[in-house]
Amino acid sequence: MKQLIATRLFQLVAVVLIVGSISFALMYFLPGDPALRIAAGRYGPDMMDNAISDMVRAELGLDQPVLFRFLAWMGDLIRFDLGHSLVSGAPVLHEIALQLGYTLWLAALAFVLALVIGPLVGAIAGLFPGSIFDRVSLLVAVALRAVPPFVLAIVFMMVFGVTLRWFPTAGFGGWSNMVLPSLTLALGLAAMSSRVMRDAMSEVAASPYFAHGRYKGLSDRTVVMRHGIRNASLPVVTYLGLQMVYLVEGVVVVESIFAFPGIGHALVHAIIARDVPMVQGTALAMGGLFVLLNIIVDLMCLRLDPRLGRRAA
Amino acid sequence: MSSEIRLENLSIKTRDGTVLVRDVSFAFGSGNPICLIGETGSGKSLVMHAVMGSLPDELICEGAILLDGENLLALSAAARRALWGRKFSLLPQEPSRSLDPTMTIRSQVAEIYPALHRASWNDAKTRAMKDLQSVGLDHAARSFPFELSGGMAQRASIAMAHAAGSMVLLADEPTKGLDRALCDVVAGMINHEVSLGRAVMVITHDLELAMQTTGMIGVMRNGVLVELGKADSVLHAPVDAYTKSLVAALPSQWEASSQNTHEPGKPVIAARSLGKSFGERALFKELDLTLRSGEITVALGPSGCGKSTLGNILLGLIKADFGTVERPGNLPAFKYQKIYQDPPAAFIPHQTLGDAFGDLRKRHGIDGASINRIFDDLGLEPGLLARRPDAISGGELQRFAIARALLLKPAMLFADEATSRLDPVSQKRVIDLLVAQVRERNLALMLVTHDHVLANKIADHVIDLSSLSSNGEQRTAA
Repeated sequence: MKQLIATRLFQLVAVVLIVGSISFALMYFLPGDPALRIAAGRYGPDMMDNAISDMVRAELGLDQPVLFRFLAWMGDLIRFDLGHSLVSGAPVLHEIALQLGYTLWLAALAFVLALVIGPLVGAIAGLFPGSIFDRVSLLVAVALRAVPPFVLAIVFMMVFGVTLRWFPTAGFGGWSNMVLPSLTLALGLAAMSSRVMRDAMSEVAASPYFAHGRYKGLSDRTVVMRHGIRNASLPVVTYLGLQMVYLVEGVVVVESIFAFPGIGHALVHAIIARDVPMVQGTALAMGGLFVLLNIIVDLMCLRLDPRLGRRAA
Repeated sequence: MSSEIRLENLSIKTRDGTVLVRDVSFAFGSGNPICLIGETGSGKSLVMHAVMGSLPDELICEGAILLDGENLLALSAAARRALWGRKFSLLPQEPSRSLDPTMTIRSQVAEIYPALHRASWNDAKTRAMKDLQSVGLDHAARSFPFELSGGMAQRASIAMAHAAGSMVLLADEPTKGLDRALCDVVAGMINHEVSLGRAVMVITHDLELAMQTTGMIGVMRNGVLVELGKADSVLHAPVDAYTKSLVAALPSQWEASSQNTHEPGKPVIAARSLGKSFGERALFKELDLTLRSGEITVALGPSGCGKSTLGNILLGLIKADFGTVERPGNLPAFKYQKIYQDPPAAFIPHQTLGDAFGDLRKRHGIDGASINRIFDDLGLEPGLLARRPDAISGGELQRFAIARALLLKPAMLFADEATSRLDPVSQKRVIDLLVAQVRERNLALMLVTHDHVLANKIADHVIDLSSLSSNGEQRTAA
């Protein structure tokens, strides 16, 4: 287990370096003059002229050679200094800490919702393969996964926000603001995990040990709870690691649509404003988050499946 | 408390009226076990599941199954289900697959107490330890099934039957996939359960297991009970023709095969000072071995002693740690063929045999006439070619595997436990045909088995790997 954590921490460093380099390169190759955009972001488009943009360029060192800027950025990174936002001037670390907090709440809520909906639906479908429930859940899962999250988000806004007026459609003022974004994310996640759970459950339900549990005299309920869910959840938990990709990319889209003040929303705005340190900082935070979440998934797998731990030992 | 189960004219039919089991009557009870013998598809498993009450819904039972006088067939499915564990326990076949892979065996035994006896969890854990002690598994209580051997897993499932406290024990092919030494251990365990007063029914195609259980033997074929009697009389003085062939097929009853009378053939494979270890454990070292055309060499020893590994080294499938393997004449690799232990695993499941042999013809340019001749020699009906591997018997499929290997005109065949999963009649047939082909085509055959009796009946040379792990001398049996 120590080895696993060490490997993952090494990967974390690699991810930080790679994400750092790529985000730097992407920002460099984006069309348009960053100094102009930043000046517009700071002083408003009406106030801006060449003198101001030249001033910004000189102030931020944007006239330095690209290699020099890259090395400076990597050097800062090693010292955990993410720099200051070019627009607001505040340290990037503070901005991220604030936005990441909101995002973590949103992601956690979406994740818990997805864990309640997906495996539950999947387990029931898997226990009765071929049933109407199984087929309808397949149809709904395919539909939810096929529809991009932004379409789903707009449908939810129109139905629950505009027509029914149950939940606010944008901003952040309290829990009610988190319902629609987290539901949008959760349904996309649950669509896939329900199918993984369904296949795992139907396989477990057909296994000799499942039958033997019943022959032992256990009730169906006990067999499902003690021998079914646990074994069927193994592939689902492993799959959660992959779902983190969906979660991280979904956060960007969903936060932007619902104007939710999280890290994804901040990333999009930073890109538009050419706020390079903010883009790099948020990308790093999201990449790091992805690796950390996967460490948690790995530890859960170890805990659930004794074969992994004891074989390694 | 003693129990008796009596079957009266039990028939099992499908909903569309096909009769699978017809008019089976017998009884077993405390101190009077029964062993049902028969090949795959003979209906013995159906009878066992009818007694258990676990037949699929599509099958209908007629007649009566009486438990201490009460007709179980008159009960509802739920009422029969309520007897599971309480009255009936099932020892599953291949128990290592019937235990929950992610739960310790103690928990799997303990969970029975709250479910059946309304015990608390703390109480259940102590009592589970006692059950595991009763089968000598207390040291492994915290093990997971993948850490147990086949015999230990079988003992764990007996501990579960003890925990349930049921008086009727149904054992479903308890020795399937175990080697001979373990089979004896399992037979001992079953006899112990009989001595504890349980009503035991064993279904098996393992005649030696049947011999070791005292009591009644029933022989089933094509859904009919063809012979029923005391174990001794059925096995030593069989009346029914099928039972006779079954008994005659036991290796101990075989006539010694025609020994290789002509002069030693030319060497096909020559191995010098072979050595191989897995981790710390040395399987063999300094092993010299020459396989000659027309000769049968049998590698003998218990599971895990390195018999299959030796064969795979000779074929070049894996590398030895030390030593050399020479193949005089530099024949291509496909002239050294292997026949696998589990025939279904050696065929593509969704391809008909006809297609499989068609591909072989194309690849190696074999003419149809020689295929037909080999099928003829091996007693294979061309009609079987339209079927898929899972739709024919294991014995037939193994003969197809032999035909497939022979079509490549090999110089050497390596048969890896090629008959250990077959019933005795199929086993004898496959071995007879294999030996005849080897003699006729002047092949070198290396056969791996754990059956000493079989080895001594057919071998020109025997390599006993159980005695070979330390020194390296080749033993020869006449």
